[in-house]
Amino acid sequence: MRDTIRGVFEELWAEQEDGPPPVLSDDTVLLESGLDSLGLAIFVSRLDEELGFDPFTASDEAYYPRTFGEFVAFYEKNAQG
Amino acid sequence: MTLAARITAGQASAGARVDTGGTTLGDAELVPGLAADLASGFAVSVGDAAQLIRLLAAADGQADAMLLLSPALSPEHTSTLMAEASLSRLVSDRADLAALTTLTPDAAVAPPHAPTVETDWLLTTSGTTGRPKIVRHRLASLLRTVKPAQVPPPIWGLLYEPTRFAGLQVVLQALTGGGRLIAPAFDAPMPERLTLLADRGVSHLSATPTLWRRILMDAPANLAPSQHTRGGEIADRPVLAALAARFPEARIRHIYASTELGVGFSVRDGHPGFPRAWLESGRDGVDLRIREDTLWVRPPGAVPEGVAASALTPDDDGYFPTGDRVELTKDRVLFLGRDATTVNIGGTKIQPEAVERVLNEHPDIAIARIAHRPNPIAGSLLTLTLVPRDSQADPKTLRRAISAFCKERLPREAMPAQIKLVSELELNAAGKLTRGAA
Repeated sequence: MRDTIRGVFEELWAEQEDGPPPVLSDDTVLLESGLDSLGLAIFVSRLDEELGFDPFTASDEAYYPRTFGEFVAFYEKNAQG
Repeated sequence: MTLAARITAGQASAGARVDTGGTTLGDAELVPGLAADLASGFAVSVGDAAQLIRLLAAADGQADAMLLLSPALSPEHTSTLMAEASLSRLVSDRADLAALTTLTPDAAVAPPHAPTVETDWLLTTSGTTGRPKIVRHRLASLLRTVKPAQVPPPIWGLLYEPTRFAGLQVVLQALTGGGRLIAPAFDAPMPERLTLLADRGVSHLSATPTLWRRILMDAPANLAPSQHTRGGEIADRPVLAALAARFPEARIRHIYASTELGVGFSVRDGHPGFPRAWLESGRDGVDLRIREDTLWVRPPGAVPEGVAASALTPDDDGYFPTGDRVELTKDRVLFLGRDATTVNIGGTKIQPEAVERVLNEHPDIAIARIAHRPNPIAGSLLTLTLVPRDSQADPKTLRRAISAFCKERLPREAMPAQIKLVSELELNAAGKLTRGAA
């Protein structure tokens, strides 16, 4: 899951930005990684295409992950459920 | 009564009324008095909120007209909008506008002077792919939704650009309602802006659902507004639930406003949509009705000039279309989204047809169709389905070329989040592309 998410991120970055993508570690704050909220929206939409689900829409829980680690964990949790 | 007089009349506490984290303004600096050269009217493009607000207080009642321009507008759009409003004088601190600039914000303010005119406030509506439209207001119409002074005096946080309708509403509510305004630099990173709001003990905060999602991700622990206001987009349940969980003590108000019509009404019960009974009773002086599944509103008093020139045409009873699709339940009117002509992406209204027109200029695209799909972060995102001219084209290369093409010609919100290649596109009976939700 983590690798897929990273892969989609890097692909998106290559399309939209110049220069190499930032390194995403568990405590990277997503909105400080170079993604703004619109970029994050597009990222979630691409992951929906790639993984076949969108935990933000699927989950009843109104949860907003802050770091990359929390983001991956949110996808993992909802993938199993 | 001028803005400056209203600010002083509403004053409930001494000390700074405006605080940007770097600059503060007290009542003594919020007085009328404008450089004589600007009396016939001027445009303003200033990034610093304190400078802007000081100028608004100085100019109301002194200048025939003032055109509030976003500091994010390009020099080209700035000069086109000035020409459209027949204004030749510009107050700005932007280096890239030096050639157009008449005076700096400091030089525009002059010693106090009694009011002589009723100033026209010229605001712009959000541009999509075209340039913004100018809408003419008077201070009285802008103050229509402003609530009288409250005790204790509220401390408002400003997260919108103050030149736009929503931002100006926050500025006017804070200052004429006896309160203070904390206005962090609009271009500072969100965590920094939220930290300033928390440190200054902001009690009232207004944001669109998109901004609230952002705030929920970054809010410092000590940010604890007692009232939060949502505006702009449709309230959805997850955001309402997250706000209630994060700020359990806070009252929620949802402002529904239309820049074009200069009207607004507020919903305070924390539920999505608004009570169905308001279709009979109206709300905050605004009459409401549903026609063909969209919301129509009739503003109290005169409609701001500029509306007539726009695409909005009232029905026989004086109701104007809002373009918001609604659904009736037993006791609520719920918002479903925008009608087919516009899509709201992260708070910016985009016209899919206008985006298609841009894309159809790409040499490798035979036909482009823009649709939209719901997105939990931005509300909606655009998707592009296209027929390439060359059926053998490499999809990856084409996608990248189109992304680069869009980046040069479209605002970020209008960039398709997904690009699909197909061999043909469906046309409806009228020979038009079928559009709508993806």
